Amino acid sequence: MEVIDSRIVLAPAISLACALLIFLSGGHAAWRATLALGAAALKFAVILSLLPGSLQGTVYAYTLFDFPPGIGIAFRADALGMFFALVSSTLWVLTTVYAIGYMKDRRQKLRFFGFFSLCISTTVGIAFAENLLTLLLCYEALTVCTYPLLVHDETPEALRAGRKYLVYTLAGGALILFGVVMVQHLAGTLSLSHAGILPADAPRPMLLAVFCALVAGFGVKAAVMPLHGWLPSAMVAPTPVSALLHAVAVVKAGVFGLLRVIYNVFGVELLAMLGYAAWLAALAAFTIVAGSLMAMAQDNLKRRLAYSTVSQLSYIVLAAALLTPLAALAAIAHIANQAFAKITMFFVAGAVEQATGRRHVHELAGMGRVMPWTMGAFTVASLSFIGVPLFAGFVTKWYLSLGALQAEAWWFVLLMIVSALLNAAYWLPIVYLAWFRAPRGLPARVREAGWLLLAPTLAAAAYVVLLGVTTRVPGMPFSLAEAAVNFVSGTRGGG
Amino acid sequence: MSAWLPLAACVPLVAGALVPAVGRRRPQLAQGCALAASGWTVLATARLTRRLFMEGPFSYAMGGWAAPWGIELRFDAWSAASLFIALIMLAVLVYSGPYARAAIEPRRLPWYYSLLLLNLGGMVGFACAGDLFNLFVFMELVSVSSYALVAVGGGRIAALAAFKYLLAGAVSSVLVLFSVGVLHALTGSLNMADVALRLAAVESRGPVVLALAGLSAGFMLKAALFPVHLWLPDAHAAAPCPVSAVLSGLVVKVGIIGLLRTNAVFAGVDGLPMAAFGQVLAWLGALAIVAGALFALFQQDIKLMLAYSTVSNIGYIVLGLGLANHAALTGAGIHVLNHAIIKATLFLAVGAIIHQTGSRTLRELRGVGRMMPWSALAVSIGALSVAGLPPTAGFLGKWYIALGAFAAGQPGFAAVLLLGALLIFAYYIRILNAFYFRAPVDDNMRSVHEAPLPMLLPVLFLAALCILGGLFGRWPVALVAPAVERLAGGG
Repeated sequence: MEVIDSRIVLAPAISLACALLIFLSGGHAAWRATLALGAAALKFAVILSLLPGSLQGTVYAYTLFDFPPGIGIAFRADALGMFFALVSSTLWVLTTVYAIGYMKDRRQKLRFFGFFSLCISTTVGIAFAENLLTLLLCYEALTVCTYPLLVHDETPEALRAGRKYLVYTLAGGALILFGVVMVQHLAGTLSLSHAGILPADAPRPMLLAVFCALVAGFGVKAAVMPLHGWLPSAMVAPTPVSALLHAVAVVKAGVFGLLRVIYNVFGVELLAMLGYAAWLAALAAFTIVAGSLMAMAQDNLKRRLAYSTVSQLSYIVLAAALLTPLAALAAIAHIANQAFAKITMFFVAGAVEQATGRRHVHELAGMGRVMPWTMGAFTVASLSFIGVPLFAGFVTKWYLSLGALQAEAWWFVLLMIVSALLNAAYWLPIVYLAWFRAPRGLPARVREAGWLLLAPTLAAAAYVVLLGVTTRVPGMPFSLAEAAVNFVSGTRGGG
Repeated sequence: MSAWLPLAACVPLVAGALVPAVGRRRPQLAQGCALAASGWTVLATARLTRRLFMEGPFSYAMGGWAAPWGIELRFDAWSAASLFIALIMLAVLVYSGPYARAAIEPRRLPWYYSLLLLNLGGMVGFACAGDLFNLFVFMELVSVSSYALVAVGGGRIAALAAFKYLLAGAVSSVLVLFSVGVLHALTGSLNMADVALRLAAVESRGPVVLALAGLSAGFMLKAALFPVHLWLPDAHAAAPCPVSAVLSGLVVKVGIIGLLRTNAVFAGVDGLPMAAFGQVLAWLGALAIVAGALFALFQQDIKLMLAYSTVSNIGYIVLGLGLANHAALTGAGIHVLNHAIIKATLFLAVGAIIHQTGSRTLRELRGVGRMMPWSALAVSIGALSVAGLPPTAGFLGKWYIALGAFAAGQPGFAAVLLLGALLIFAYYIRILNAFYFRAPVDDNMRSVHEAPLPMLLPVLFLAALCILGGLFGRWPVALVAPAVERLAGGG
């Protein structure tokens, strides 16, 4: 059932209005904080109000502008889009609280919070995009809006990282545009409301070109190797930015784009016939292992987190490329699972840096004794990444393995086990250091970071447990993921 | 009622002739007269465009002498560009108030406004001319006033640039005039629709091809298509900023509209190598896109950067013309209009910044974004738009031209187009970086203020058009659709 509902335009519009208000009148700190938090809560409420309908299979749609003629800037919230929007808007509330605490003593806060709001606005736009062009529009806007956040400190290092980021993502954006033009030429439409729009009788070289252009384009933000180079350097940004954008919004926009390409542009059937997805799966499998190995070699905590992100994102890519319903479920669910666990870790890294100034793994010895709550949250997230049952990460690994078996590709189950071991190998040493070693060289006055930093961290960690424990409870995000899978695969294979 | 058409072109010309006389006694009245005349032109062209939307193309026979013997003014989709021309010129004239007072000697001020009005009248006339000879006459009006406008600020560099421009312009004029002569000798007519009919009966193909080549080469030189762009960067960078906006946004389009007009004349003639001609145009366009963008990338002077970006954008339009199918021609037609708006925004906004700070290299302009937020915002919008980020105006043209490249079975051109967009973005990123994210090099930057309101308002108006032109892109597409239909159908 499809309904016209302006609420799905309202959701991105709230953040846009918030950003404009901040730019025009955000000089006062308390007023700015009220604005940012108010908009975050309001947006979350709007998206939440769409959830009941979405769970029952209602699809909301709204067309904004007829640009370019016949295609239009149009929004449409199906279950997959709702899932992504819900995850990002939930995390935005947490990150806004965190950012208010973290940025207290920094300069240029007006610009920071303004662009921060713009970013979430474009992210929800990506989630709700009805056609490829609207998706691309929001995707490019996201690139532009994250740039000022990334170079926030204006150091030469930050500017260098920013340049690298732009080169990668804009080149990716151009590739996507190339692919979009080809799709329009081949299919005559760009709509994402069907399970596949490309005609099966199109010339093979053209289809291959479309696949390569779109996958490589979105693959840049999804940090699929060898296109991941920008992500570790982007860690120079302030921690809330790294947390929201480089573990959640930006990279997930890339992954989400890939899901759309696989499920809605090509469609599972056409892709299975063409056989391109096997290559993508192989690339993703390589990225999972290589990303983990590189993470192990990092001593800087944020860089280790970045490489872990590279590895984790490819879970989603791999799951999507398997083309089976159960794997699709894993792909969609992992958007949330990875987001909450990774944002917990970033929050912890930021809090530790704020409280002690330490940024390296080897300096974390004994940290659990002085900041028990913070390091407790970190432990929860680590266990989730390793895939211990009852934590969110296990759900992904379980369904991904089932999906791999469905696709008769047992070696991916093996890969899951290897990856779990690798994750254990680079997260558990930190946990061990933090809890079982004596603190060294810490001044006696070091305590937990302030409440504004601690509360979002704990909330995100609690969510990681919640996602893992209540997977099968109706009304939780997982049921939305099931609804999405029913839609994209057109089958009742939701598990 | 039908007299609106000749009056649209004549009023600014007559006013242009009178302004120096008025300004001799009362220099302060010169700008007012110019504003009134160009405001009138906006009104007139708006009425004409409205009529075009409702009734389709229409003509006016000067003095009641019917075509093909009399002088015919014809208002069709390409003539609708005159509305944009008049609007941008109005913005430039408003903007000129504070700018020209500082940049131009007081005794030259009336001449400055007079030249701008002549330029406006020439362009409107050019867009509406129905016969080849008037096309030439109006082109000369535009060209001669442009040469003078480049030099109006004074100084040796400007004079030299103007002279260089004059040389190139003279060659172009000779080529066009020669070809018009050839066509007249072949057909005995000058009216474009009539010439198109009679050409079909002409036996020998040699002279026809010669005329086609001469007209195309002449107009390409006027449009500064790479590799005959050499006059453009100096002229556009040396002129005062409002003049640069007119030259870069509008005057080069005279060459493009000329190409469109003459293409239509030859489109119906059998036995001409039009396909090969189109291929040559497409390749030249592709070359211009990349070359212009690369040159722009290595400039330190912000105005030179913008000038080379014009070279690149002309490449887009010519590529669209060369591909010559429906989508590509739509793209080219829209980009003629949109690039005019975008480039005018950029030059005027950059002009405001140069006016307030007195410096024009990227290095010296570091940190200006904080001191002049509105002007810098306009530059940013213009930059995103010229790079073709959706949903700005610059995106539409590129989208259609890329679609056209696929429809023509030449995806390579679409790749070039995107590469060009990336390069363009790369050099605008340099500008934005300098404006917003680099610390100022000299302390004077901290005492800079935002531009005065008469400069700021036109800039912001045009910047808003850059976005609205994209979001409401349906209208320009609908406007050029019939004309495109005829060109694509015939060729």
